[in-house]
Amino acid sequence: MIAKLVRFFDDRFGTNAGVRYVLANVFPDHWSFYLGEFALYAFVLLVATGVWLTFVYSPDERTAFASVAALSRGMPVGYVMRQVHHWSAVFFVAAIVVHMARIFFTAAYRAPREVNWVVGVLMLVLASLTGFTGYSLPDDALSGTGLRIADAVTKSIPFAGGWASDALNGGSYPGPFLLPHLYTIHVYFLPVTIGVLLSLHLGMLVYQKHTQFVPDSAHVVGRRFWPDYALRTLAAFALTVAVILVLAAAVEINPIEQYGRYRDWIVTNPAEPDWYAAFLDGALRLGPKTEITIFGHPIPPVFWPGVVMPLVTFAVVIAWPWIDKRLTRDTAPHDVLVPPTGAPWRVGVGAALLSAGVVLTLAASDDTQALAFHVPVQRLVWLYRILLPVGSIGIGLLAATVAREVAVRRKLHGEEAERVVALRRNAQGGFDDEEVQPA
Amino acid sequence: MKNGALIVAILAALGCVAAALLHANPAWLAGLGALACLGVALAAGASALELRAPDDLREPRRARGPSEPEPLPPDARLPTRAVFGRLWLGVLGAFALVALVPAVVLGRRPRRKGTAWKAGARLVTPEGRPLRADDLAVGGVETVFPEGRVDAPESAVLLLRVNDGDVQLPPQRQGWAPHGNVAYSKICTHAGCPVALYRRASYELYCPCHQSVFAVLLGARPTGGPAPRALPQLGLDVDRDGYLIARGDFTEPVGPDEWWRTV
Repeated sequence: MIAKLVRFFDDRFGTNAGVRYVLANVFPDHWSFYLGEFALYAFVLLVATGVWLTFVYSPDERTAFASVAALSRGMPVGYVMRQVHHWSAVFFVAAIVVHMARIFFTAAYRAPREVNWVVGVLMLVLASLTGFTGYSLPDDALSGTGLRIADAVTKSIPFAGGWASDALNGGSYPGPFLLPHLYTIHVYFLPVTIGVLLSLHLGMLVYQKHTQFVPDSAHVVGRRFWPDYALRTLAAFALTVAVILVLAAAVEINPIEQYGRYRDWIVTNPAEPDWYAAFLDGALRLGPKTEITIFGHPIPPVFWPGVVMPLVTFAVVIAWPWIDKRLTRDTAPHDVLVPPTGAPWRVGVGAALLSAGVVLTLAASDDTQALAFHVPVQRLVWLYRILLPVGSIGIGLLAATVAREVAVRRKLHGEEAERVVALRRNAQGGFDDEEVQPA
Repeated sequence: MKNGALIVAILAALGCVAAALLHANPAWLAGLGALACLGVALAAGASALELRAPDDLREPRRARGPSEPEPLPPDARLPTRAVFGRLWLGVLGAFALVALVPAVVLGRRPRRKGTAWKAGARLVTPEGRPLRADDLAVGGVETVFPEGRVDAPESAVLLLRVNDGDVQLPPQRQGWAPHGNVAYSKICTHAGCPVALYRRASYELYCPCHQSVFAVLLGARPTGGPAPRALPQLGLDVDRDGYLIARGDFTEPVGPDEWWRTV
């Protein structure tokens, strides 16, 4: 039966050559190469649960909240689907960030893989946007407040902001088209775009082959895809789903029925977003209060932390492969990875960037911390304002120092281990040592 | 080990179906699903280890560099400019203009209407109950709307009662706070969140989103956090029956600022 099917397609499309190429393919293996797979499999789970959820969700401002809240009351399968969907989203973005950190710290983005780095960063942005639009669909008090903030940030864009907001809302906020628009964006535009970019991402990977730590730039060194790597990646898939299901079973996420339906005068306290949006919220909290005016037109304070900061950050991240080329004066193609100890400066830059993200993320829950530690919230705001540059640079320097130290120790240790000394008794009864060149 | 894990996976998957049919607690559904996946992960991992396949197979990497295909055949070698003359640029430009039309139609210059407040509108609670000037005790706070327009967007107002005479307002707002009743827009001027927290002891309003602080006695001036300007104040009066009414709509825009909203 299978043989017949294989024959059928091979006759028409010559598929066997491709199948053979994939099965015999050699794939470099390292635990850190599975991080991207975790993200991929979370996306698979997101699509599967997401398609199911479209059958129970109603993208209408009058019924949206009720349609989602109904899943939590007397519909265990629906509740599980929503839990799994939300946890997968949180996991998805986290896996992308960790995967990206691995790429960064091992310099896998260098030529000829710059384009794949750019595609990956775009997918991170799109994944976060998909997360945010999905989070907003239930029309509950928490996500509605997030939308309101997003609307204020959109409106803050000079000249075009108000137009963009009105187009999205179908009128002034909260317009009648807001939920249907978010719905289309969440279930169609963004996931389809991610799907296309994902195909490109994997296509480039197959064509260019994966990087590796083994210092042999002429060969791909690793495991055969079939059956060795296939079993491993199947295990990675099942493990990803298992972890997300455990989270879904054990920890309730975003219980909207407890927040209630959104109205523009009702808010939850605390009002803190999902983790991947928290750095933006933190930036809004630390941002300035000054409103400047250009020819009588105001530039609201949210424009700087809400629009300029993320745009500049992502521009730098996207341009990073070329910045690296400038810094290292190395434009040659590389298939062999640099271990973090091989380039301490890169570890420092990466650690500083991540620390800045962590500080902004922490700042997004300053009110909860103020309550827990009995500190005035304004003092925390100043602490984080200072920590943002000082802490990030400090941690960057520390990480670079540690990486250099580890590298030096390994090198010393390696040299010691390779040194062979012959001891000879001499006439005086002592020992002479003589270095022996290892064969 | 491998077979054991697979049997666990099958049983857990069947258990998952049973849990769904029995309307069991969702934690059972997800938990059994997790167990089934864990079984698969273990079995696949164990099989992979059992293979003891080599991890140092070497496959030559593709030669890099330009693909350098054969030159184009002569009949395909006409230069682009000869095929697509300058007029084609004109066509491109004209079509680009056409493509702009739908975008321009979508993007009309935003016009912001005022709120639902009108002169003489009674202040009512979200339940629709009108309020008299002494309904709130000193220190009290209530979210209010114009009568008949509860839930109207951008129109939520915080009515606060303070000691008459404690509130310091600019001269042009004389009489806006009858019997110590002051009313401010509930929509934060920073990012639009409802300013929903009130610290009675210090007469301060807090926004739960980004912790802006507004001084109730000083015309809701921002005294902390990122809000750039005061919460707009709604002028109040008392009608013949003793109910609180609005003197009119807000005199400043409500909510966060934007480019087209010239203050």
